[in-house]
Order: sequence, then structure tokens, then C-alpha cells
Amino acid sequence: MSDYSTKSAAGTHAAHLSKASSKPFKDERHVNPSPRTMGRPSIGGSGESGVLAPRKGGPPSPRQKKTKASQYDRFIPNRTAMDMASSQFNIARSDAPQPLDGSTIAYQETVANACGVSMNKRILTFKEEAPTSEKEDLRQVYSRPALKATASTSTKRRILNTPERVLDAPGLVDDYYLNLLDWSLGNMLAIGLDQSVYLWDATSGDVNSLCQLEGDAYISSVKWTADGTYLAVGTSEGDVQIWDAETQSKIRTMSGHQARVGVMSWETHTLSSGCRDGSIWNHDVRVANHKTAELVAHGGEVCGLTWRSDGALLASGGNDNLVNIWDARTTVPKFSKTQHTAAVKALAWSPWQLNLLASGGGSYDRHVHFWNTTTTARLNSIDTGSQVTSIQWSNEYRELVTSHGFPYNHLALWSYPSLTKIVDIPAHDTRVLHMAMSPDGQSVATAASDESLKFWRIFETRGKSARSGKGDVAGIVSASAGSSAGASGPGGSAAASALDISRPSYIR
Amino acid sequence: MSVQTQLTKGKISLKGSARIVTEFFNFGINSILFQRGIYPVEDFEVKKKYGLDIWVSNDISVTQYLKKIMDSVEEWLALGMINKLVLAVNSRETRETIERWQFDITVTDESKGEEKQPQPQAKSEKALQMEIQAIFRQIAASVSFLPIIDEKCTFNILVYADSDAEVPTTWTDSDPLHVKNAEQVRLRSFSTDAHRVEAMVAYRRDPDLC
Repeated sequence: MSDYSTKSAAGTHAAHLSKASSKPFKDERHVNPSPRTMGRPSIGGSGESGVLAPRKGGPPSPRQKKTKASQYDRFIPNRTAMDMASSQFNIARSDAPQPLDGSTIAYQETVANACGVSMNKRILTFKEEAPTSEKEDLRQVYSRPALKATASTSTKRRILNTPERVLDAPGLVDDYYLNLLDWSLGNMLAIGLDQSVYLWDATSGDVNSLCQLEGDAYISSVKWTADGTYLAVGTSEGDVQIWDAETQSKIRTMSGHQARVGVMSWETHTLSSGCRDGSIWNHDVRVANHKTAELVAHGGEVCGLTWRSDGALLASGGNDNLVNIWDARTTVPKFSKTQHTAAVKALAWSPWQLNLLASGGGSYDRHVHFWNTTTTARLNSIDTGSQVTSIQWSNEYRELVTSHGFPYNHLALWSYPSLTKIVDIPAHDTRVLHMAMSPDGQSVATAASDESLKFWRIFETRGKSARSGKGDVAGIVSASAGSSAGASGPGGSAAASALDISRPSYIR
Repeated sequence: MSVQTQLTKGKISLKGSARIVTEFFNFGINSILFQRGIYPVEDFEVKKKYGLDIWVSNDISVTQYLKKIMDSVEEWLALGMINKLVLAVNSRETRETIERWQFDITVTDESKGEEKQPQPQAKSEKALQMEIQAIFRQIAASVSFLPIIDEKCTFNILVYADSDAEVPTTWTDSDPLHVKNAEQVRLRSFSTDAHRVEAMVAYRRDPDLC
């Protein structure tokens, strides 16, 4: 039986219409089949053609229906539920096809129009299914939680709470006023352990003992030159020894101080040493008569001393709670700051803003003050909550890390200038006494009297330079030699070459 | 046979118009398949038509499928037997229609409509192209308000035909496949001299937005 319908018989196409009918049995087709077209409803039944017609197993033929009807042989499971009267009526008239009634048609047409369905249309669909594509739609793949801009992932640097590496530092003197840790440009870490100075090569991991003091003397400070070739060692006797790191031999001894040399700072060929008696001596290490200047302005032990990277200013902090800023050419401090209420050991010049100095106070003070050394104004302050033992600025990020003693013994990372604390790292069991920054600026080393030396990768580089990712603790030195004058901190200015060039470099 | 020559003669015949409208449907359906991501992007290539770059499927099975459909559609158009063409986008898993693009076709041929006034000006090809361009631009722009389709989908082409139309075996009857809780947006229309096509899209109303 072909599906061609050449007659304009029948034909409501809408399923709604069948619902509009009032016949009890839904499936009109079975009760009232039209002999002509299978599956096409006749006019009388307001049947439904609103179904996809698979054309298999159509309704039983009329003849078959007749016999069934007369025999009443259908299985009725629940007699009481059956509407016997109407079912009998329907069965009885099953064989008589309903004639086309003009009024019925008109009725249906009006109903159809009311329903908004046109009578003589049919909806056709192409039998064949549309081809499916098995490929994953790349648009979906790529439009999923996108926004993985590299910028955002790289700025999300991980700062671990655990050290990268832990070394043993037996015999470290538990004295707040000493400065026994320094990291050279050549990736050598010098640490003064009681009477000896040990050099640890961060690249290879070798340890060498550089010198050994006699008698009761102990090492009170160590400081590398800016290019990492010479190490200045200050002793409790008041001597300053200059050692050649490569040959591991002592070049000269500069004596004269009356008390121990607790802190030193290099400025090209000038070494400034801070003494327990409060004096700061400037030595020119090239000449025999090395003492070039004596700066006296502290009433207590000088425990913080650092030259600015351009060598114009020297900052010193002492046990008398003073911060003194010295002009290189004079022996009288340019100005003094008395804000701190405890000894000022932590001093650091900002690498990106030349006149910005950060100073940290001891256990009674616990503050870090920021100074504009040009205008002498105090720019900012942080109450850190613990004794500040050291400050290091990051070269790559606008951040600084402070190391602390009483009571929390932690490292704190702050962003500047917002001064929000980025992270606290519980570093040691006892006071973090000394901190030094690696030449590539990515790690800091901390030493505490719990006799451990720990390395923390705080300033992981954003990876723009070729040697990113590999710190100096394990690997390559990324600094270039022959950097500019002065060492305002162990990090030095040479580390800038390995870092993001788009960042503003040192303002000369 | 060139539609152009027929155009320059003055007005398009029903057959020529049918060809134009079928072409429009073909490109329109391809464009919708591309925009809605029914098929992955790499299955499409750019073709220049109507002064626009339209993305057309280069998958053989899809083009053949559409060709078969369009052949029948063109026939019906020429006879004026078709009054709606619907592209229903169904989700493959739930088999529900999530989007429904409906194109209403009315025949404006004056031989059929007695009440028509004197024939409007024969439409220039340029004007026709502009109108069709506008619809394509709207289809592309509709991405901004249509809900994102995350699931794999398939589509069905439905044709509302006259009951006395000749239906080849490849077509069967079907439900209208309306979208439940639909939002409807009427798009622009175009008309050749013989046919007028209006476009509309119905999509699922986002329950969160209401």
C-alpha cells in the first residue's frame, strides 16, 4: 500500500484535534479503520494522525474486526471497570464507515480554526535521520572554562610552607646582634658557626671550611663583596679579615676595633664595619692604611648596616633604637630616626625605589618602618607582631620578606605598597636570626639557633627568562658578573639580568 | 538557467523564485548548523554568497542529506504546496526539541491571489540580496540570546505541506516538534516576487532567568 494519498480524504493532522473529540476510546484507528488508507484516519473518527507512522503492523483489517466484534471474545480483565454500554455501542458500529457529513466537516473546520490548526496541511519530515558527527566539537572543548590566560596562572605562584632544603648549622651562636649569613653572587653561602666560617656551594652542594679562629674568639659577621670574590669576616676580637673565596686564603686582616664587629657592608672597595661600641669604620681595603672614616652616632651596638646600591647613602641601625642615614661623603649622619623602640637590626633598601628604606625593630618594637630617605619622611609602618630580625626586598615582585624571632619565629611576606601580608611561613623552632637572599632573587636562606639552615623558594620567578624555574639552591647561577656597584643586600643588582626585563630595573 | 535573466525580464517566475528560496534555505540551514554547533566547526568551510561569507558544511553525508531534502522542497515550492519549513534541533539523549527555526512561506504570485493590487515593482537582485543578508546577519547575531547548547544534538527538517502535495516515500508524517516553554523571536523576512519568507526562532526559556 503506497503512501501516496491522492484523495483529499480525511485529514486532520493535529493531535490536538483528537483530544477535542469526545469518543471514549483513544485509539480510533483500531475501532474505525478506513479501508482505503492504512493509518490515515477517516472523517468520522476525528482521529489522530499526529504520530510518526512506522507503517508496520497497521490496524487489523475490517473483516477481522467484524468477527471479533460479533464474538465478544476480547479478554476483559476487570469487568466492573468497563463501560459496557458504550463499548458495546462502539463495537456494534465498527463495521459501518461513517459517511462524510457536511455538517461534521464544517464543525471540524471551525474547531480547527479555533485551535489555530489548519485542516488541510500535513507536517512532513524527512525519514532519514541527519548524519551524526562523532567528532568532539572543538568549540565546546575550547569554550569550556577557558580564561586560562597564562598571565593569571603565572602570577599564582606557589609559596610552600616547607623549606626547599634544610642544612645543618651546628654551633650557630644565638645572638641577635650578629650577622652570620651571607649569600654571594657566585652562589656561595657563607655562614659563621661559632669559630669557623663555612662556605656552602649552592650549585654543587660542597661544603668547605674557610677559616678557624683561635682561643675564645668567634665569628661575629660575614659579608661577601658585591661580585662574590672576597669575603669579609668580622670577629669578636674586633678584627676584620678579608678572605679570597676561590683560593680560600686570607688576604689581609684589618684590626683596630675595640669590640666585636657585629655587622659589615661593602661598597665597591669600601668596607664599613659596625662595632659593639657604636662606631662605624669605613675601610678602604686597597690601601695599607685602611681606615678612611669613623662614623660615630650610635650609643649602642651597631647591628644593622647597609649601603644603598648606588653607594650614596649608608643606613645603620643600633641597639640604641636609632636609624641613622649617612651620606657617603660625611661623618655626620644626614638624619636620624627614633621611631623604633628596640634595636634595629633589619635594614634593607628597596631595589626599585632608590630612596625607600625599610627598617625593622627588635622584640619590644616589632614594627617595620618605611622611610623616604630623600624627604626623611616615614612613609608606612607595619606591626609585624614579632621581633624583626631581617628584611629582604624582592627584585621581581613588589614584595618584601621579613624574618622574625620572638615570639613566632616565622617568615612573613608582604606586598608593597599595600602592605598586605601575603603569607606567613612558620620557619624555625627558635628565632630566625639571619636571612640571606639568593643571587637569582628567588630563594631566601634562613638560619636559626635551632641549628638549621633552611632554604625557602619565595619569589619564584614568573618564568620569562631562559633560566627560570631552576633556583640557585639546586642549579645554575643566573647572574652576570660585573654588575653595578654596591651591595645593598646579598641579592645584588646582578640578579636583575636574569629576570623580567620589562620590570623597571635599578634607577641609577 | 539563470535566475538573473529572469530577473532582468522584470519579475521572477515561480520556479526561479523557488530556486532562490531553496538556495536560501540551504545556506540558512548550513549557517544554523554551524552557529549552533550541531556539527563541529572543522566540518565547515566558507563560501561566498549573498555578498557574505557563509559557513557551509563540507561533510559529504550532510550535504547529500540536505540536497535530498532541498530537492523535494524546491519542487513543492514551485507548486506552492509548502507553507512552512522548520529546522528542529533535538538533543540526542533526551530526543527533545530544544530549538526550532521556522520559516513561513507565503506565495505572493499574482496568479493565485486575485485580490492583489497591481504588481509591485520587480525586485532588483540587489534589494533581494540585502534582505537575505539581513537574515543571515540576524542568524549569526542570534547567538547572543540563544541559550548555549552543551549537549550533542541532531536536527530534523519539517515541512508543512498541503495535504494534496505529492509526498515521496522518503518523507513521513510527523509531530510539529514544538519547543516546550518556548521563547519566540521573530527575525527578518525577505520576499522574492513570488514568495515571501518569514523567519522565526523558538528556544527553550531558561528557567533561571525568569
